[in-house]
Amino acid sequence: MATLELRHLTKKFGDFTAVDDMDLTVAEGEMIALLGGSGCGKTTTLRMIAGFTEPFSGAVVVDGKDLRSVPPYRRNISIFFQNYALFPHMTVFENVAFGLKLQKLPKAEIRERVESILSLVKLVGLDRRYPRELSGGQQQRVALARALVTRPAILLLDEPLSNLDAKLRVEMQVEIKRIQKELGITTIIVTHDHEEAVSLADRVIVMNAGRIQQIGTPQEIFDRPVSPFVADFMGFSTFLHGVAGREENGLLPVACGSRTLLVRTDGRTDLAPGDACVLTIRSENIALAQETGENVVTGQVRSATYKGHTTRLEVSGCFEEPVYPAISEYAECKEGDTVSLYFPPERICVYKSTIGG
Amino acid sequence: MRDGRVNWLCTLVAILVMLFLIAPLIVIVLASFTPTALVTFPPQGFSLKWYANIFGSSTHFMDGLVKSLQIGILATLLDVLLGVTAALSICRYDFRGKNLLLNYFTSPMYVPSVAFAFVLLQVYSQLGGVPGMARIFIGHFIIILPYVVRNTVSVLHVFNWTLEDAATSLGANPVQVFFKITIPLAKPGILAGAMLAFLYSFDEVALSSLLSTPRFITLPIRIMNYMELTFDPTLAAISTLLMCASLALIVLLERFVGLDMFMK
Repeated sequence: MATLELRHLTKKFGDFTAVDDMDLTVAEGEMIALLGGSGCGKTTTLRMIAGFTEPFSGAVVVDGKDLRSVPPYRRNISIFFQNYALFPHMTVFENVAFGLKLQKLPKAEIRERVESILSLVKLVGLDRRYPRELSGGQQQRVALARALVTRPAILLLDEPLSNLDAKLRVEMQVEIKRIQKELGITTIIVTHDHEEAVSLADRVIVMNAGRIQQIGTPQEIFDRPVSPFVADFMGFSTFLHGVAGREENGLLPVACGSRTLLVRTDGRTDLAPGDACVLTIRSENIALAQETGENVVTGQVRSATYKGHTTRLEVSGCFEEPVYPAISEYAECKEGDTVSLYFPPERICVYKSTIGG
Repeated sequence: MRDGRVNWLCTLVAILVMLFLIAPLIVIVLASFTPTALVTFPPQGFSLKWYANIFGSSTHFMDGLVKSLQIGILATLLDVLLGVTAALSICRYDFRGKNLLLNYFTSPMYVPSVAFAFVLLQVYSQLGGVPGMARIFIGHFIIILPYVVRNTVSVLHVFNWTLEDAATSLGANPVQVFFKITIPLAKPGILAGAMLAFLYSFDEVALSSLLSTPRFITLPIRIMNYMELTFDPTLAAISTLLMCASLALIVLLERFVGLDMFMK
């Protein structure tokens, strides 16, 4: 267990800046998710923490100690790789015991620790198998056991669940969270899946082009993304352009085409009347309206996609841009129907328009 | 279910091809036991005298065997050191001209051995006084290097280098990573390359015959010289022994490396 600090961490590959002046403090036992698209610098950050890649500038600090001169094999930082990287010429037992044997622990202790970690990841009885004889989920748990058994100060998980099918992924999310809390180990998980990030982490960091876009609890990031980019990344799909009016009673009127939506801002907005702005709202927060009123607009259903527990609609005619509500009443909406939609003022996020944004 | 039934014509062709491959070997093995002074088939009677003749001093076969083994083992060991190092640096690092370097290391394969021997002879005569063993060793050392490099590269080409990072993060220093992860996983390619290289050297005729001196003659050249003077079943006997030795080597290697190492 340890605290981790990144101080102005920067990595350049030639002219390309992969990680740009990254600052972060991770508390003991905390689980942080680095979330971002491919090439956003999240894996490079992980490799710098592990010591496989040298930073261009800045520092990785663990428990107050700068790791600059510590080689990767003395850092006591375990890393879990996307492709598991199990040693194919070793059995499950040998894979898990690898780190302990290097520490020259007595044989009895190695056996005891391997067995206890294998029971933690529910792999008892498979210790003599070779990795190729295991299923994907089992291999993944071997990799997790191998990373945990050395009792690392910090655990790094690089896209741990991306190779698994949907059902196994949900199971492993629960498993990883349980083990991480049980051992209280400081953990950083890298992922491109926002659902994985919010369901696993205590805090989520959204990265883009080597920079941190937002740090916050899953709730904060999910409900109040700080920019249209973060919103887009967190699965917001309805984006509307408009012009701000004057805030009154905590409600900001925004003119979107010929219609006006009220947004609850409670004085927190930096928008002046007349500013161009972008509105966004989660699909699940748009509701079907029975009667007309404030923030109720009508439009035509262009398409309806059945998603199981919800139906996702594409509705045009409300604004210049189409809106994408996700509703639970499937039977009432078909293509070509006219629907009334309600946009709850407290659920709408508003941002100042940036050039090109 | 048509896949379950094998076409009789295919079976027949397969059997004929296999017979074609193995028949000469069977003839040689059987002929080696003949008591007659000429190779006859089918053999009339049974005798081991031609086998005894191999070990007789007049053939110099034992002397040739020792020299062939010396050259083969020494050249293979040094080539494994050099070839594996070359293969590792070509596969691990990304640098300009790595393909060029790989082709450079495998180029001895494409040079006709007679032309190569001619060049070496020129060099030796310029230097003067190069001992017999060195003359053949240098030739073999160069000509078998491609087998080690190619086979090692073919394994390292699909090597998952993340395994080295994984071992490092578990506390293995670079030396431990090399001997516990990289070498064990590259072993099938290294051993296969070493075996091919050794067998090539052991069997090599063209280069050795041009480079050998009267005092340093390898086994294949001894056999060739013997064949020019005498054509008796001793040749069948030593051929049989050499085949058995090769077979034993391959079986041993398969035991130790295991075919499954190639099938991951």
